[in-house]
Amino acid sequence: MTANGERGLVGLDPTSGPLERQDSRSLAERPASLDGAVIGLVANGLGQGEDFLAALYDELNSLCAPNGAVRVLKQSVSVAPEPADWARLTSEVSVAITGFGG
Amino acid sequence: MLNADRHEYPNHDALYDDYVERGWTDGLPVVPPSPEKVAHFLASAGLKADEVLGAVPTREVVVTAEHAAINAVMAGCRAEYMPVVVAAVRAHLHEKANCHSTTGTLSGAAQIVVVNGAVRRELDIQCEGACFGPGWRANATIGRALRLVIRNVCRAIPGFLDRASFSSPLRYSFCFGENEEASDWRPLHVERGFAPDESAVTVHSTMTFVPCVDFTSRSPEKVCESWLGMLRRYGVFTDRFLGEGQNLLMVVGPEHQRYFLEAGWSKDDIREYLWPRFQNPGPGERPVMLGSPEGMLLVAAGGPGMAETWFFFPHLAWAITEGLAHP
Repeated sequence: MTANGERGLVGLDPTSGPLERQDSRSLAERPASLDGAVIGLVANGLGQGEDFLAALYDELNSLCAPNGAVRVLKQSVSVAPEPADWARLTSEVSVAITGFGG
Repeated sequence: MLNADRHEYPNHDALYDDYVERGWTDGLPVVPPSPEKVAHFLASAGLKADEVLGAVPTREVVVTAEHAAINAVMAGCRAEYMPVVVAAVRAHLHEKANCHSTTGTLSGAAQIVVVNGAVRRELDIQCEGACFGPGWRANATIGRALRLVIRNVCRAIPGFLDRASFSSPLRYSFCFGENEEASDWRPLHVERGFAPDESAVTVHSTMTFVPCVDFTSRSPEKVCESWLGMLRRYGVFTDRFLGEGQNLLMVVGPEHQRYFLEAGWSKDDIREYLWPRFQNPGPGERPVMLGSPEGMLLVAAGGPGMAETWFFFPHLAWAITEGLAHP
């Protein structure tokens, strides 16, 4: 019973937990410069995504001095990159760029 | 033994306000998920709280029976709906149902729950007139329960992991049953490997849906030609992940169905007519890329009057059929 005589009730949390990550992972620090960086370009395969990322790399190349690009085209538009693509990205690139939509 | 955190409230209004504030609803009022009611739902389905129904690996989410029961209570389900809700959740969490993509997509794809078997009549799941719309508790709350699981447990929250540009009112709830009694057509679940005396749920994620309204065609061939014009206008696409498992859900209303029945056409006869005509689209048309004729899921439903068949084009997923596990 509550102070005003109402019967209280209990509700259960319907979620799978807090949205915030509970582990020690965090975003990598933003690099101070892209000079000398290898840029990962991860395309989802929709629309003109590859062309857009290529144009974006050209734009970066005109603004600073990146050390080349690693291009990844996802095997499917509907799922995450495959393990081999993740391995390439984590071992070969300094910064990766991706997008969503078509 | 329930695992969820408990929150105390002086009354229902306070609970609802707090659930809205925490982002735990679809905006509509919810039934308070009390521990007693959730336990009753689990018991009615013969499930333990920690039984795993599926997972979304990209979101590091595991969905349990307790999650499903809490959200089913909130949605307004009766306890006896639980086996249907659980089957729908299991189906949606199949790898090829592609939860992450179909609930995160910019396109706002929605999940359709099609129910087959005796459970439709036992639970009063509407199969006939107005079956897509409001007015039917089982239809409304079973579909909503799945969507609340997707939102609350699978984290498809608008602006967070739900990135829909417009989203869809179908995302509040979309559940109906096949009108198996309307004809001798083989029900969807039987076509997909279940026995006629079993009940099953098929979950199909759809990105585009459109009715093909045709009051003038009077033969199966002409109705099929009318359908083909619409199907080739929109097309069906696939990719490597989906392979040959893509589905097209075609809900045939009674005014179209009767032309097939009068001519003695089965569902397979319809597929046989349509399949070769899916190939080689003409100018301005799109391919209908299904892996096989069985990719066409033909379902009879709806009421008399409008001569129409509804097409639910797939998002990037297979339609998955899951049998009901009765306690």
